[in-house]
Amino acid sequence: MDNVNYNRKINFGWLFKMAVRDSRRNRARLLLFISSIVFGIAALVAIYSFKYNIQNDINGQAATLIGADLSITGNKEPDKKLQTLLDSIGGERSEERSFASMIYFTRTQGTRLVNIKALKGAFPYYGSLETTPLKAGTDFKNGRYALVDKTLMLQFNARVGDSIKVGNATFVIAGVLNKAPGQTGIASGIAPIVYIPFKYLADTKLIGTGSRINFAYYYKFPQGFNVEKLAKKIDPALDKAEYGSDTVENRKENTGRSFGDLSRFLSLVAFIALLLGCVGVASAINIYIREKIASIAIMRCMGVKASEAFLIYLIQITGIGLIGSVAGAILGTSVQHLLPYVLKDFLPITISVSISWMAILQGIGLGIIISVLFALLPLINIRNISPLNTLRMSFEETATKRDPFRWLVYLLVVGFIIGFSYLQLGDWLGAGVFTIGILVAFLILTAIAWLLIRFTRVLIMSSWSYILRQGFANLYRPNNQTIILTVSIGLSTAFICTLFLIQQLLISQVSLSSSGNQSNMILFDIQTSQEKPLAELTRKQGLPVLSQVPIITMRLDKVNGKTAADAKKDSTLHISPRAFAWEYRVTYRDSLTNSEQITSGKFIGKAAPGRDIPVSAEERFANRINVKVGDKLVFNVQGIMMNAYVSSIRKVNWNKIQTNFQVVFPAGVLEDAPQFHVLLTHVPSQPVSAAYQQAVVKQFPNISIIDLGLVLTVLDELLDKIGYVIKFMSGFSIVTGIIVLISSVRISKYQRIKESVLLRTMGASRRQIFSITALEYLFLGTLSASTGIVIAIGSSWLLAKYRFDMPYHVNLWPVAAMFFAITALTVIIGLLNSRGILNKPPLEVLRSNA
Amino acid sequence: MKHPLKIIPVLALIVFLAACGGDKKPAESDSTSTAAGNAQPKKTILFFGDSLTAGYGLDDATEAFPGVVQDKIDSAKLPYTIVNGGLSGETSAGGRSRIDWLLKQPFDIFVLELGANDGLRGLPVASTAENLQAIIDKVKAKYPQAKLVMLGMQVPTNMGATYSSDFKNIFPKLATKNNMTLVPFLLQGVGGVRKLNQADGIHPTEEGAKIVAANVWAELKGIL
Repeated sequence: MDNVNYNRKINFGWLFKMAVRDSRRNRARLLLFISSIVFGIAALVAIYSFKYNIQNDINGQAATLIGADLSITGNKEPDKKLQTLLDSIGGERSEERSFASMIYFTRTQGTRLVNIKALKGAFPYYGSLETTPLKAGTDFKNGRYALVDKTLMLQFNARVGDSIKVGNATFVIAGVLNKAPGQTGIASGIAPIVYIPFKYLADTKLIGTGSRINFAYYYKFPQGFNVEKLAKKIDPALDKAEYGSDTVENRKENTGRSFGDLSRFLSLVAFIALLLGCVGVASAINIYIREKIASIAIMRCMGVKASEAFLIYLIQITGIGLIGSVAGAILGTSVQHLLPYVLKDFLPITISVSISWMAILQGIGLGIIISVLFALLPLINIRNISPLNTLRMSFEETATKRDPFRWLVYLLVVGFIIGFSYLQLGDWLGAGVFTIGILVAFLILTAIAWLLIRFTRVLIMSSWSYILRQGFANLYRPNNQTIILTVSIGLSTAFICTLFLIQQLLISQVSLSSSGNQSNMILFDIQTSQEKPLAELTRKQGLPVLSQVPIITMRLDKVNGKTAADAKKDSTLHISPRAFAWEYRVTYRDSLTNSEQITSGKFIGKAAPGRDIPVSAEERFANRINVKVGDKLVFNVQGIMMNAYVSSIRKVNWNKIQTNFQVVFPAGVLEDAPQFHVLLTHVPSQPVSAAYQQAVVKQFPNISIIDLGLVLTVLDELLDKIGYVIKFMSGFSIVTGIIVLISSVRISKYQRIKESVLLRTMGASRRQIFSITALEYLFLGTLSASTGIVIAIGSSWLLAKYRFDMPYHVNLWPVAAMFFAITALTVIIGLLNSRGILNKPPLEVLRSNA
Repeated sequence: MKHPLKIIPVLALIVFLAACGGDKKPAESDSTSTAAGNAQPKKTILFFGDSLTAGYGLDDATEAFPGVVQDKIDSAKLPYTIVNGGLSGETSAGGRSRIDWLLKQPFDIFVLELGANDGLRGLPVASTAENLQAIIDKVKAKYPQAKLVMLGMQVPTNMGATYSSDFKNIFPKLATKNNMTLVPFLLQGVGGVRKLNQADGIHPTEEGAKIVAANVWAELKGIL
């Protein structure tokens, strides 16, 4: 031993050779470990790839909300200065003039108010004017042709080829307009749309002094152009000219929360994919290295230096990580390509598939880094152990002394998770919070596992049956797998459940008008005497009366005794003087609707006679006039002063298409005031809508109808897509999560071989070993799954409250089912793991695995 | 059982308050006091109309044309008080139901300014005319002595020539038939003039309201 040169140089060639040689010993076992890495990374790569592709898809679809990159609109002829600005913007441009007009169907002799749009240029640049026949959408610009809204065609029994008279000009109907991009405001639903070519606009003689025309300019820019920056730059000039601009981003924000929810959800999914990758790789590496301890000890005894042993295994692990990650990336990418193809008959959306190199690179990089980081922990211990100590196999107890490197590794792991989550989330705070959340979850699971180890030791009674004692003892005996399995099963369960719960919450928020209980038609100016007959007519047509509310117009006269003049004089009152100038549309009812939530006070549904009237104020309204619950208001109800007080303050979800109010009166005071009614209904199709409108107009000519069908189809399609994307991504992530869970339980296969074989040689029956294994896994499964679920409920609650900002209403039954499924899965895999031992003679098992 | 009982005091309150509903605006109560300086008994003019009467979008409802007319009455020292019965968004059908609420209070002159919203929504001309006639009939039945004024309205050119002329003709026809004083076009000199209208292009600004008031005053002063 004296001639050993301890200061010898590191021979990398030899180290590599040793790393490869060592791996040759048991290729089957190695394959099992690599498979776990493969699944972890495949999950990550597939989820990332889907995410990138889907994000592009949704963004592309969102562009149809406006049909161009930028739209500039105003309601007066642009002056010279504005015209110069409009011309200087560049890109492709289309021009549109729109206005209300009465058109005349010459064949069927009907007159109807429509929204005429005269169009010049290639608009829409995103999406298309969907017409029947198909070509009419572009060809109508070639002659005196018009595109007419489908419902309108049905209402007037018009056919393609008929003529319509617009002002003084006659146009031939070239096609039926089924869908048009850019029509997403309620305003565009007031009258049905008729497109005509711009060049014949003058012939209509409708433009001139005294006409009200809306001017719109649509721009398309080359890809990568910063539209937002441009919009910001020209906005002041537009403002001055009383014009406004709109961009896709802008429209997305105004379309409601769905886009925001989707992107938050996708980053959550990406984060969970990252953690699934971690769990898959880390659990494999951890167990692999632990099994290698014996080999390392032998090498150390043969004169291998600690640093050399360390490096050999570091090289080996890097290699394994690399192979596993590349294989995982390939698998993930092929899943991403195959899945939409396989599911194309079931998916109502097309998911585009293109290889996402970003996802692949992140996957491989991540795989290698996690492999090395998690291998470092056990490897560092080896550095400090004398060969003899290592041989004694009791290293686990002695090696836990504090090693500064250990902390360095922990720090690296945490830093790495923060770094990667930053890559996904894009903000440090979010990344930090998520990482802390995961650490907390990890600590909880470790603590539970640790407690389990302590308590089972104390709890086991000698009076229990042998099998029971053996099963429980497996949880704390040396070489137990309690901590690693609890953590990996628990974390996977937590991820799966969190995704599931958040998905449930989000889907309930993506409310679609096509779902049948959402309104897509508004009837207003219904007089009190028409209220009942109209509701009857609606029901007779087979349509639901989703809501019918009375509306009373009133003004605000006093706020806590202060009048408009006081508010104007004294700005310290913080009452907006404008609040007195408005006419308020108010309703009365005895209960809240489902889009309202009381934030303070109590909603009172009935007014007590002779007392001040308890009214409910909307949050923003209350802020504007600076009132709290209990403050006094005086309303001028068309000449009658009504004393009221704020009994409650409400939060209103303004995004839903339904009647919402700033002020709600209780029942019992306004019944006799002059009022009109609004009725909301849902029409399932355009023919039904046409028939219904015809019937209403015939019986009640004064009632105005807003058909949001066309507006909502564009929006619905998008929301529909978002809804499916959320379901698809969560479904896919849950499945990959389960696969990662299976593979991380699967790698415990070799842990119990020795014990089981020994038991068999000592004469234990198959049944006994079977029961012992089942018991151990049952206990581990139950405990970690339930802990995981508790963590998931907590984390989804926090996510709902702080990240998605929505109320937490979830159905917990599916979660209970998930608990049983995961427990059962753990037991089944555990038993499958020991199947080999049970079916083969002990000696054979020992020979091939020792 | 509580419900029907409660209505009675509320109704009483409504009737009582409706009687003094005209005093709701500071400027008008000022004018009331100056008018009260005269020995003559005070008479009431009810302006029954839509957003143009109500002064939609103006800082103060008194800036709407009925308020301006009140100023003219005051400076002419005539014993009249104007009640602003304007309601934004009101159509002729809405007015037909609402008129009962305002008929509870007596008046000497009734100024009818409705139909603009019907026109903008392209409602059938026949139904607008029918509703306006029904309003006039109700007024005549309740206050046969009241003088009637009709404010004529037109729709923007873009609505189409046929509809525009049919619509425009409602007002002179009804005025003649019911023996009403007619202001041919309320928004004469304001409609379609960009700087006299608010950003929406249809509601007069404070400046525009003054011209509108002058249009009304030209015909109204003859019957005071």
